[in-house]
Amino acid sequence: MVTEEKRQELLNRLKNSVIQYDEDGAKEASNEVVALGMDANDAIFNGLVSGMEEVGRLFEAQEYFVPELLMSADALYAGLDILKPHVKQLDLGVKGSVVIGTVEGDVHDIGKNIVKMMFDVAGFTVYDLGRDVPLDKFVEEQLRTDSDLVCLSAMMTTTMVGMKKVISDLKAKNPNVRIMIGGAPVSSDIAGKWGADGYAKDANNALKDAINMVSSLKKMKEEAEAKKRG
Amino acid sequence: MAETRTMTPRERVLKMFSGAEVDRPPCFSGMGNVTTAGLKNFGYKFAALHSNARMMADAAAATYKLTGFECGVVPFDLCVEAEALGCEINVYAHLEDILYPTIRKKIIHNEAGMETVSIPADFAGRGRIPLVKEAIRLLKAGIGGEVAIGSYVLGPFTLAGQIMELNDLLKLSFKKPEKVGRLLEMLAEAISLYIRELEDAGADYITVREMGATSDVLSPRVFKNLILPHLKKIFSRTRAHTVLHICGKTNDIAVSMTESGAGAISVDQKNDVAETRKKIGSALLFGNYDPYNVLVAGTEEAVRQAVRKCMDDGVDAVWPGCDIWPTVPVENIKAMMDEVINYRR
Ligand code: B12
Repeated sequence: MVTEEKRQELLNRLKNSVIQYDEDGAKEASNEVVALGMDANDAIFNGLVSGMEEVGRLFEAQEYFVPELLMSADALYAGLDILKPHVKQLDLGVKGSVVIGTVEGDVHDIGKNIVKMMFDVAGFTVYDLGRDVPLDKFVEEQLRTDSDLVCLSAMMTTTMVGMKKVISDLKAKNPNVRIMIGGAPVSSDIAGKWGADGYAKDANNALKDAINMVSSLKKMKEEAEAKKRG
Repeated sequence: MAETRTMTPRERVLKMFSGAEVDRPPCFSGMGNVTTAGLKNFGYKFAALHSNARMMADAAAATYKLTGFECGVVPFDLCVEAEALGCEINVYAHLEDILYPTIRKKIIHNEAGMETVSIPADFAGRGRIPLVKEAIRLLKAGIGGEVAIGSYVLGPFTLAGQIMELNDLLKLSFKKPEKVGRLLEMLAEAISLYIRELEDAGADYITVREMGATSDVLSPRVFKNLILPHLKKIFSRTRAHTVLHICGKTNDIAVSMTESGAGAISVDQKNDVAETRKKIGSALLFGNYDPYNVLVAGTEEAVRQAVRKCMDDGVDAVWPGCDIWPTVPVENIKAMMDEVINYRR
């Protein structure tokens, strides 16, 4: 057992390592958490993730920019790698899997990578297809991995149109899959018109919506199962 | 109302660049402005334009011929320099949609690669550099008597993001600024070599596009310390008229942008131009209508309104925030021209 004082110290160190993008610091503190037998869930959510939340705030306030965000993410991943094997059950109430990528013809992937990181943090299993992804690949990968959620990113008005095709192909093959779209030219209007289940304007909202969607999806599946049985 | 011509569009643009009085702001661009309407007359496919000088020049000239938009600009993609340095590109020849060429294979794969990469000895003869030069010559021969002919290059940071993984570049800009600095130095030299070729072919003005350094992505501090010095070198080595373009958030770097030595700075719709005007005094400022949401998707009235706003805010040239999107309605460009000509007359 760790004392409350030691726990607070470690949580602070984890949090600050992420904020100050200090990979070594995150590793050291995580190793100590493991050595002392402290709860890994606690360390992840009240340490690393709470640091990342602060980083998100600094990003919005334009004190941090994309490089800082990426480096903080590296520190977070460094800690996560050490802590993850010691977690009993890592999820925020849902265990989801997601296929994510930037659509064909579009190499803008900075935003997509930020959204992906949020999913990693939340314990989703993420299949990242990268950028300039041929439209059929999204459908193939969803079927291969049976993922709950497919996330499409586009930063150009022309490539954005490709999403429409992916959405209808996906829904035709697998009506239960949830689809979320995003990127600067995308709007919730467009998402609605094209039959996507969600749109988010930034990474934080993307995660919130994803969690809601996956929870409702799971509930729906459970109810269907129950009906079958009962 | 038609314009009683006191000067040709070409004279107006060149005079403005040299700091002389002009009767009204020119309405032109230093970035791509190919239109699908222009392509239709020739029966050209967008994907084919990038590797054929004749088609490139025809497509570029068509915008002026159809609408009076006051320039001719080639090329249309951002891959020329990277390709000449050894990257492989994808023009999406198999697709009918308008997709812009991208880099398929980069040449730097890790940190060590940043130090071994160098400018090929025959750089100016590689990839599509000769083709772009040929397109400029053709364009010049076609409409060069009436309008100024422009071309563009990438800034060193944005070019670095084309030849290596952008995520790595962004992080190394913090962790190993000296290493990134050396790479930018080398790329700035390559860019200057390319600019010399464009000048030889007859380009009247060159736009340096450094969108990778927008404040949406990178802090003003890093822009100033790491990137600005190399932009300064590029501009000091260029003889043609020059423009520095950065899209996205730029209010906090506008002053640094003018310090680069560029003849003019260009910003997009996210910039508060009235504020920028106050900060940069009389330096030439181009902008800043939204090339998609207004010019392509907006009504003629929205276009006119945007033009008036640019002029009221104090731009020296009415100019788009980025490439004009090809599906633009010809009527909208005509409305824009008409408004620039007749507003305040
Ligand atoms: C950096 C950049 C580039 C880099 C991209 C490098 C890379 N690896 O990403 C380079 C130089 C390669 C580039 C190339 C081009 N670009 Co560019 N580029 C930009 C720029 C400056 C910044 C984009 C960015 O990263 N923003 C920062 C991130 C953090 O924000 P974000 O992407 O919006 O992401 C957030 C949200 O949108 C959301 N989100 C994103 N994805 C998703 C997905 C889901 C599912 C959800 C829920 C949410 C979500 O969450 C993110 C985090 O909060 C923008 C202008 C601007 N300031 O936006 C132009 C811009 C996107 N580019 C543009 C253009 C025209 C081009 C080119 C066509 C130019 C040319 N002539 O070739 C080429 C395209 C090449 C291609 N085929 O893809 C235009 C697009 C116009 C349009 N309306 O279609 C823009 C808008 C510039 C402008 N002012 O007009 N570009």
